Amino acid sequence: MMARLTTWLDERTGFQQVWQAIFLRKIPKVNWFYTLGSATLFVAMNQMITGILLTLYYVPTPDHAYDSVQYITFQLPAGWYIRGLHHWGASAMVVLVVLHMLRVILYGAYKFPREVTWATGVILLLVTIGFGFTGYLLPWDQKAYWATTVGTRIAGAVPFVGDWILRILRGGNDLSAVTLARFFGVHVWVLPSVLLLLMGIHLFLVIRNGISAVPTRKD
Amino acid sequence: MAKESKMNREGFLKGAIVSIVTLIGAALGLPALPYLAGPALQKSGDQEWIRLGPTSKVELGQPTLFKFKVKTQSGWIVDEQELSAYVLSNDGREFVALSNVCTHLGCRVRWIDDEKTFFCPCHNAVFDKDGKVAAGPPPRPLDKFEIKVQDNTLYIKGG
Ligand code: HEM
Ligand code: FES
Repeated sequence: MMARLTTWLDERTGFQQVWQAIFLRKIPKVNWFYTLGSATLFVAMNQMITGILLTLYYVPTPDHAYDSVQYITFQLPAGWYIRGLHHWGASAMVVLVVLHMLRVILYGAYKFPREVTWATGVILLLVTIGFGFTGYLLPWDQKAYWATTVGTRIAGAVPFVGDWILRILRGGNDLSAVTLARFFGVHVWVLPSVLLLLMGIHLFLVIRNGISAVPTRKD
Repeated sequence: MAKESKMNREGFLKGAIVSIVTLIGAALGLPALPYLAGPALQKSGDQEWIRLGPTSKVELGQPTLFKFKVKTQSGWIVDEQELSAYVLSNDGREFVALSNVCTHLGCRVRWIDDEKTFFCPCHNAVFDKDGKVAAGPPPRPLDKFEIKVQDNTLYIKGG
């Protein structure tokens, strides 16, 4: 029964070929450092699920942001847990992306034919940092407020265009309702779209090009 | 492959992966359920006695309007609402507190002294002094609050 259903579906979708390409592909003999990319992918999925759950209660306006976060943390059943996963996952993701990149650098895995994989990876690193920067403001407590005040001021230190960048980031001269709304929009719409697109390309290329072997003395 | 053992390497790995994925799925999925249903399951907490005012304010045989404030919490928003109740007493000892919310669609009723009835302007409902429907569409009498007197002060609960 099950086998017949599988054949029926496969005839019409070819899903087994896709499954094989992803999970049953040939790889060189590798070590545990090669799992860092998958670990990052796993944390990214965790961030998406918990992030979506948080948006069901979070409200990105100055008069409700803080209270809605307190509500999630202290009133909702398992709210502290969902928020905690998202909070600590954010830090874990930055650490994992950096470690993953180090392994790629140290093994020379960025070389031909994997330059594009590398390039998408660089943008993924920036996107991950962007997630952290925009997400940090959302609880709208003192720490968030002042961290973003300082963070945007650092961006403002860029020569010539700095002041302009600072005003774009804040949506005005100071941190305000506009800043909170745009940080939220970037955090839940812009960056996730970019992340999904780039992860798709990144992983497609990893599979298409196959992964590099551990370099030997001869390399 | 080790023939003697029942489980080969591939079978073991498959089992391990399935177990780990299930475990992670449960760790995320199970807490998500109460998290989502939480606000729907919340009981509307124990109500407290609300102080209305001195019993001396009530004119005997005539519904007297008292205004009071209640705090309502919806999610993270705490609101203060001003509500009203008509308090009626015939002997100064037994008190009845009627809600001024029409039992039809929720407009505010008001006491018309000339007619000795409550009138709802929305669909012309009429209630008598005790809150019973005298005319119009309301399906039931005006709601009553629980009421108590303590040190010559009126307190109500419910609504
Ligand atoms: C959201 C972040 C990222 C995710 C989810 C991700 C995911 C992955 C996965 C699953 C692999 C398979 C092999 C492995 O794990 O080593 C991989 C390979 C690779 N990644 Fe990433 N990655 C991310 C960020 C980056 C960054 C920041 C860089 C470098 C700037 C990068 C460069 C590469 C390269 C060059 C490969 C090919 C390695 C090889 O063929 O041996 N990735 N990535
Ligand atoms: S709401 Fe009072 S009569 Fe309809």
